[in-house]
Amino acid sequence: MTEQNTTKSHKNPEIPDQETLHPGTEQNPMIENKQGGGGEEEEEELKRLLVPNVEDLPLSPPSAIESNFTTYFLTDFLYPGNDQYVHRHANGLCIIGLAPYHVAFKDELGISKVSFDVGKTDRSTIKVTGKRKKVMCFLKFVECCVKGSLLEVNERLIEHPQLLNSSANREGYIAIIMPKPQDWLKAKALMLSFEEYQKLRETC
Amino acid sequence: MADKDAYVNDGGDKVQVSSTSASNEDGLKLIRDAARSLPPDAVKNLLSNGVCGRCIFWLFSIHQHLLPCPSISSSALSAILRESAETEGGVADHPNNLDSVKELEEVEVCKICLGIMQFVYCDAKEMLAKKGSAIDFATTIADVVKLEGHQIESFSLELSLPPIIVDNEESIWSYMKKTYESKPWYREQFPSQRITIKDFLRLSLTNPLEMLLDVKSNPSSFHIRLTYKLSDASPNEQLISKGNECNKRRKIDENDDLKKHGNVEGHEFRKRSSNELGDNKFGGLTFPLEKVSRCCSLIIQCYRTSIYIGGRYLKYSRKVSQTRWIIDDERMGEASVEEIVGGTILPICQGDSYKFHAAGREDIDVRMLGTGRPFLVEIQNARQVLSEVLIKDIEKKINSTETKYVRVKNLKEFGSQGWALMREGESEKQKQYVAVVWISRPLDDNNVQTVSSLKDIQILQKTPVRVLHRRSSLVREKIIHWMKIERIAGSSQYFLLHLCTQAGTYIKEFVHGDLGRTHPSIGSILGCRAEILQLDVTDVKMDSFQS
Repeated sequence: MTEQNTTKSHKNPEIPDQETLHPGTEQNPMIENKQGGGGEEEEEELKRLLVPNVEDLPLSPPSAIESNFTTYFLTDFLYPGNDQYVHRHANGLCIIGLAPYHVAFKDELGISKVSFDVGKTDRSTIKVTGKRKKVMCFLKFVECCVKGSLLEVNERLIEHPQLLNSSANREGYIAIIMPKPQDWLKAKALMLSFEEYQKLRETC
Repeated sequence: MADKDAYVNDGGDKVQVSSTSASNEDGLKLIRDAARSLPPDAVKNLLSNGVCGRCIFWLFSIHQHLLPCPSISSSALSAILRESAETEGGVADHPNNLDSVKELEEVEVCKICLGIMQFVYCDAKEMLAKKGSAIDFATTIADVVKLEGHQIESFSLELSLPPIIVDNEESIWSYMKKTYESKPWYREQFPSQRITIKDFLRLSLTNPLEMLLDVKSNPSSFHIRLTYKLSDASPNEQLISKGNECNKRRKIDENDDLKKHGNVEGHEFRKRSSNELGDNKFGGLTFPLEKVSRCCSLIIQCYRTSIYIGGRYLKYSRKVSQTRWIIDDERMGEASVEEIVGGTILPICQGDSYKFHAAGREDIDVRMLGTGRPFLVEIQNARQVLSEVLIKDIEKKINSTETKYVRVKNLKEFGSQGWALMREGESEKQKQYVAVVWISRPLDDNNVQTVSSLKDIQILQKTPVRVLHRRSSLVREKIIHWMKIERIAGSSQYFLLHLCTQAGTYIKEFVHGDLGRTHPSIGSILGCRAEILQLDVTDVKMDSFQS
């Protein structure tokens, strides 16, 4: 959501004595009246406040992710082609997923299966506690590039693996992690902005 | 003046008892007559054992005679009793009563009431205060009230006495019964029903306070509280708490002895029959009594119980939070509804502090329009009583603030049930919103139709990422009751979304989907990407806060 200046000046009518308010003699349109008399002006006022100025509306507004997160990229984490992105929220949470040039996308048919099995335990059934977890995606072993406590894995990927193909950076995210401040700083030091990432990858 | 009734022999000195008014003289006469009606032996015994005059009147249930004479002092009262007991007294027939021979001492601190009914106490500065008469004591209390500056229409007197007083009451009743039961005057003059010392104190102070403060006493929101505490443990108190271990300190004499049986009990109002005492457990005093070294400490307080003012507020700014929001000494947002509203009401009511409560809340960047959101402000210890005029003033003042961030309406005073009303509305009611939504492709009429047709749809919302750091990860089922798309002239991809939802629904997430963690969402319903630009709350339905 973009910030809009909405502190408009509006008239401040005299407020009559509450006790003598009658529907027919309603003088102050801003006071809500149960019987509804005088409510018309109030509705007009409300309408005026609600409808935005079309000229103020941007052609294409920033997305919720763009407005509320800062996005970083990391290339070749632990092994070549393991490019990941991190959407970091002001509250410290990190949403992690596969960056556009991740090796998993090189397959023309796209990703067809996602499972969260690591050895014996299926991550999707484990309660969210604990430290560093490993997440496997398709045939590749994807480790999250930021160390932290795992809050959530995106279970929708199991039923809808195509999300990785269509919107890897939104609905196709892999996991949500809460890193400790010092761990985040360490990871961030190695990360790139989108422009830098784009530049790096396109030249290959 | 020469009237002999106005003077009393008090150990040889003449002590002037009262002023010269006629009614006082009548009152004084009644007191003397009442004093003379008492059995002299018993009175002498009690006086010599350190029981004050008022407690003696209380014990024989003739205390009502004292009430019309609030200016009579404790020492004068004792002197009257002594005098009438001596002039009546013949040979003392109590075997252990040596009073007729022994010199009577002025009672410093009464054994029964520990100075409370003598209006003697240690004040807040730990100085000994002796307010000899009820009117003097009441004056001290009234001065505290006046100093605080409360505007009052009535008052309620709250008294807190140390539990030992009740023990003393029971002990002395029991002693009297044991000692004098066989006497001819016992049944008649020693009634079985009596009030507590606490209530006696209340009776003694109520009329003088009413007179001095010029208001009536009733269950009022303005409290005058007297808190008495033991200064330190007196020897008697130690006796009581140790129970039967202290045998060696007691005289083993049938007539004088009291055995300690039971526990310390609470000090609620009660009427006890002395017939009951034999069966019940009670604390014990021994006669002759040990001298009580110190009187009680007293704290006099006055305050008004909280008052509640509430109504509905509207928030016109996207930079104003609902409550004070300060992180690391820095204010987030430009102001808060809480401070604008509470901060205006507080000085007008001349209170000590305020608390702000609203039925739910909206984000800082969400405006609260339409009917407004119910809120309640609690003002602690207001000096100023609320009136219709004052409430109007408050409303006017808030609504004419220069910045025009916040407005209030339907302002009125609530009783203490205000909290219950707020709670009841918060989680159950429906809320109405308007959002400015953008979608990634042009809107078509089918979309408008589809959205309007959806009624009471259930959505599942995982805890939004923006609050996931402080809330547990849950999936919440919420209901969207209805929706309506209103096109915006001049735009094909922006529109107004009107919606009515269950309380607790995250609207922003319902629009943009929160990375698929809210499902369904507007995006999923319309099959495209959706973003929310701005949000306004237009209605918080809650009946008790209507006009």
